[in-house]
Amino acid sequence: MLELRLVQGSLFKKVMEAIKDLVTDANFDCSATGFSLQAMDSSHVALVALLLRSEGFDHYRCDRNLSMGMNLGNMSKMLKCAGADDIITLKADDGSDTVTFMFESPNQDKIADFEMKLMDIDSEHLGIPEAEYQAIVRMPSNEFSRICKDLSSIGDTVVISVTKEGVKFSTRGDIGTANIVCRQNMSVDKPDEAVIIEMQEPVTLTFALRYMNSFTKASPLSNTVTISLSSDLPVVVEYKIAEMGYIRYYLAPKIEDEDEEPKPGVKNERD
Amino acid sequence: MSIDISRRFVKERRREELQEERNSALTTPASPVSVKQPIPMGIKGLTKLLADNAPKCMKEQKFESYFGRKIAIDASMSIYQFLIVVGRSGTEMLTNEAGEVTSHLQGMFSRTIRLLEAGLKPVYVFDGKPPDLKKQELAKRFSKRADATEDLAAAIEAGEKEDIEKFSKRTVKVTKQHNEDCKKLLGLMGVPVIEAPSEAEAECAVLCKNGKVYAVASEDMDSLTFGAPRFLRHLMDPSSRKIPVMEFEVSKILQELNLTMDQFIDLCILCGCDYCDSIRGIGGQTALKLIHQFGSIENILENINKERYQIPEDWPYQEARRLFKEPAVSANHEQLEIKWTSPDEEGLITFLVNENGFNLDRVIKAIEKIKAAKNKSAQGRLESFFKPVVSTSLPIKRKETLEKASRETVNKKSKANDRSPAQLLELAFRLSTFSYVSEHFVRLSFLKGRGY
Repeated sequence: MLELRLVQGSLFKKVMEAIKDLVTDANFDCSATGFSLQAMDSSHVALVALLLRSEGFDHYRCDRNLSMGMNLGNMSKMLKCAGADDIITLKADDGSDTVTFMFESPNQDKIADFEMKLMDIDSEHLGIPEAEYQAIVRMPSNEFSRICKDLSSIGDTVVISVTKEGVKFSTRGDIGTANIVCRQNMSVDKPDEAVIIEMQEPVTLTFALRYMNSFTKASPLSNTVTISLSSDLPVVVEYKIAEMGYIRYYLAPKIEDEDEEPKPGVKNERD
Repeated sequence: MSIDISRRFVKERRREELQEERNSALTTPASPVSVKQPIPMGIKGLTKLLADNAPKCMKEQKFESYFGRKIAIDASMSIYQFLIVVGRSGTEMLTNEAGEVTSHLQGMFSRTIRLLEAGLKPVYVFDGKPPDLKKQELAKRFSKRADATEDLAAAIEAGEKEDIEKFSKRTVKVTKQHNEDCKKLLGLMGVPVIEAPSEAEAECAVLCKNGKVYAVASEDMDSLTFGAPRFLRHLMDPSSRKIPVMEFEVSKILQELNLTMDQFIDLCILCGCDYCDSIRGIGGQTALKLIHQFGSIENILENINKERYQIPEDWPYQEARRLFKEPAVSANHEQLEIKWTSPDEEGLITFLVNENGFNLDRVIKAIEKIKAAKNKSAQGRLESFFKPVVSTSLPIKRKETLEKASRETVNKKSKANDRSPAQLLELAFRLSTFSYVSEHFVRLSFLKGRGY
């Protein structure tokens, strides 16, 4: 038996919007600690990890650890039917192959039940070790979103480099190049607008902008985003979900090709 | 860069190529049969057997999801396909000025670029000397080709368009010259080539076992019998056919079929392979049952009804087994380094445009694609940083799918047979022309035995 009630139902909707572009099918895991998900995109370049802790729900009951395979496109269709202020309850019975979404209007005069079929999904669960990152950047989420969007109109990849001066996002494309530097700025009156850089050592990594852009779909969940970088690890882009948990995206960097060896006499056009 | 070529010639070539393109565009999708091999190769009926009995060993993958992966490709198989499909209309094929066929070059060039553009790293493996046992099979193919040549002549005389195309495809043979041309082309493109001492599939399988490549791509199911841990089909199909890549994993096959690798090899030999005949009347399903029952070909031969099933007189199954288990492959894979290099632009233009009449503009564009692709192949994968772990949650929905239920009955059936194997099998075989009846019979006798 599983029953999760969230008065602030729009949160479910926002979470869904933040995931569905990246992953088509995924297993949601429920346990006494909370409601979580880990899923990779089809090419295994990016991973999303979601946690909504049980304390954050208005009612949380989960008798045993379960996983529910859902198609995120379908789930999103169902959740779109919920009003912005609706209370959302998610229910499933043991041994059942469906999950029910119940939407209650705030004044309780309308109650809707949507039942969705579950799926069997074979998915690999990756073990993500705790790690110390060489650089951690915290910045306003809409600022990061804007940067990724702007850069992707010029190039396919972004080079993120963190130095003492600040964090630099740069790209290069057929029409030209772009560099955006955000300096450390700890404005006290508006903490959400601060750019805070914690750096052990300078780091520079390259990523595909396409994925970054789909991560920024989580911006409505949080005013700030935290980007953790290490030269030998995937980047972590984290959006905290107030009092409940987080949504974290991991993205494998682009790596220098070890097989690259220019032929003698032929000019290698790579820079 | 100096390109010595007259404009007029280029124009003519372009017109011809457009025509040829149109032809190939017409023939390829309209007759999907054309890509099927007219001569059966590999293991007979293995795909279906696996689909029925081990559905989890195969999964469809997007072509694009193999970016950054090193893939060993059975070159001869690909060249054969190109000769059949690329730029053909009736008996006409793509040729150069001298009238030599260039379909294989066109195919190899464009398909390889497609792989490179998607970020894959292909390494082509060419066949060496065929093992003696395969010569019989090759002789058969030769005579089929000879028949087809006669049929073709008849069809041309009768003017039957469809037959002309059908039979001329059957006359296709990959010659040494085709292989040499392709090796030269790949060398110029900066794509590595490996020459197998004997069978290319065997060499590919070893490359994959040693972790030199991620997977083996071929259309020939032999690769699985050679033990390639990961095997891809339809990787080299034209994008226009929109067929997803089918990925097979040997470990999952063994797990799902509940066989050891040796038993799987025996199963493949029983199904029918390139090296020796199979037993008449034993197809994939029966072979699988027999292997489950008796464990090896030797034991099957001891227990089988020899009047019902005629064992070929000279049946070198042991030799075939040895070829699958210990095929002739290069010894020094440890030191082997596979390298992808930049394309030799001038070399490609000389070879393709000047010697083989390709369109200059198209070749230049293609070279640009190769160079652009080289910069693209560097996206990392998460698996190289994080390792899979077992999830602790149980699925809410208990999996009770049809296949599982049916597999259980198969297992139970074999258990039932354990009780009085000889008797039951005798009966089953006697009835096996009515295999439906026989299956039910076995099931009934099992149920009776359990007291139902």
